[in-house]
Amino acid sequence: MSELLTIRDLRVSFPTHQGRVEVVKGLDLSLGRERLGIVGESGSGKSMTGRAILRLIRPPGRVTAAEMTFDGQDLMALPERRMRALRGARISMILQDPKFSLNPVMTIGRQIAEALDAHERPSRGERRTRVRQMLERVRIADPDRVARMYPHEVSGGMGQRVMIAMMLIPRPALLIADEPTSALDVSVQAEVLELIDELVRDEGMGLILISHDLALVSRFCDRIMVMAGGEVVESCAAADLRHASHPYTRGLIEAVPRMDETRDWLPVLDRAARAGT
Amino acid sequence: MIELRNVAIAYDGHRVVEGASFAVPEGGSFALVGESGSGKSTVLKAIAGLAPEREGTILVDGAPVPPRPTLESARLMQMVFQDPYASLHPRRTVDAALSEPLAIHGLKDRDARVERALRDVGLDRRFRFRYPHQLSGGQRQRVAIARALMLEPRVMLLDEPTSALDVSVQAEILNLLKRLRAERGLTYLMVTHNLPVVGFLCERMAVMQGGRIVEEAPTAALRTGDFATEYARHLHGATGADLMGPDLLEPESVDTAPMETEK
Repeated sequence: MSELLTIRDLRVSFPTHQGRVEVVKGLDLSLGRERLGIVGESGSGKSMTGRAILRLIRPPGRVTAAEMTFDGQDLMALPERRMRALRGARISMILQDPKFSLNPVMTIGRQIAEALDAHERPSRGERRTRVRQMLERVRIADPDRVARMYPHEVSGGMGQRVMIAMMLIPRPALLIADEPTSALDVSVQAEVLELIDELVRDEGMGLILISHDLALVSRFCDRIMVMAGGEVVESCAAADLRHASHPYTRGLIEAVPRMDETRDWLPVLDRAARAGT
Repeated sequence: MIELRNVAIAYDGHRVVEGASFAVPEGGSFALVGESGSGKSTVLKAIAGLAPEREGTILVDGAPVPPRPTLESARLMQMVFQDPYASLHPRRTVDAALSEPLAIHGLKDRDARVERALRDVGLDRRFRFRYPHQLSGGQRQRVAIARALMLEPRVMLLDEPTSALDVSVQAEILNLLKRLRAERGLTYLMVTHNLPVVGFLCERMAVMQGGRIVEEAPTAALRTGDFATEYARHLHGATGADLMGPDLLEPESVDTAPMETEK
């Protein structure tokens, strides 16, 4: 089976004073062992899509889908207990800021080992070896020392590498990375993404990279979906992004200042159709 | 308009900036770029009079900057911060935020000035009596800019003014800042890590690393990558992800290490 994840007509809604509002409006997606980028601005529904796949949207939020299958299993029908076994082990998620995702009072080594213990029963020796190997794979030079450190003792870039180690140690088949580098310095961003990219390729995993940064996503993904207002407005191969036809995608591309900027004014998206700014 | 000569700044005796010197002419637009911890925001704070432990000379409009902000320095220069969610008082309406500097400085015509300020930053008057939580990020940043302009300062200190905004909103705010500068002959000093934004809004830039200015260059260097120091080239290479640049046109050239992408 080549399809890793198939979604048909995914809808996510939340109740408001004005009634239920759909934040994802009928999304279709099929993903193999490839790298898919979901791009959109705040409120486009991109993060909600990522969360819905892991069934992390709690009531009063409501998720419906005609189909949501991961590796042959119907995610919508899976009991919560089995879903919990799947999270982390088969589908992992990396979030924006390692500062908020790591446990501040637990050493890095223990946190990574805990991620492993949750899904396997390794012996003590094996656990130690796997943690050290994983830290080496995320290019941490002195793994034994770092394993004994606490999250506040490492930089943001290293914290995010620790997160990646933690997420990948159970060897998941699909990694969802939601703005994995937005909280990091520009010079570290590329490093972290290259690392994710390398590991994803080595393991033959699927990747969903969620970001507001069109340029970044086009660099690291095979395919791109552009979302706006809960809908997919454009879907294309990353290499074809410069031929993107939808006015919203074009608007997004044009609105970003370039390194070789010569324009006096940046074109802005026509917001008449949408409320706000 | 702004001149720094051999400025050193410390927090609790710990030096974070050393030997910083640069000058921005009246009406100029200058950027300080660098990574977190490079000291760029600290320099900005020192110019605003918010970093008491400093040595060296900081002149704004020919006069030394007082150790703490004063009424006069507030009229001369104003600051806009990165996060408009954090820089506006959550329990004050837009009207109150904009009127307060006028009241403090005893300026008349408050009503008309607030109306004009809203118009200048492109905000409809219906926003005047709203609270920050009723505004979007872009609208809040417009309010923050309007508030900074209430006293008609000649210098604007901008600390990552668009980093917290979506790209399409960023474009609007950048256009707004550019227009305001052209209309009022403002002098800008901006701190950012976003080099393309520097290319759009500024003429000159200083690259900071570990508390020192390692290079000063015209922003035209961003187009060619023609920097003297390796660190500046590295920083420039790491941001090579601009759309429609070589990266998107030739995806296979992307895999090179950041150090090698330029030059």
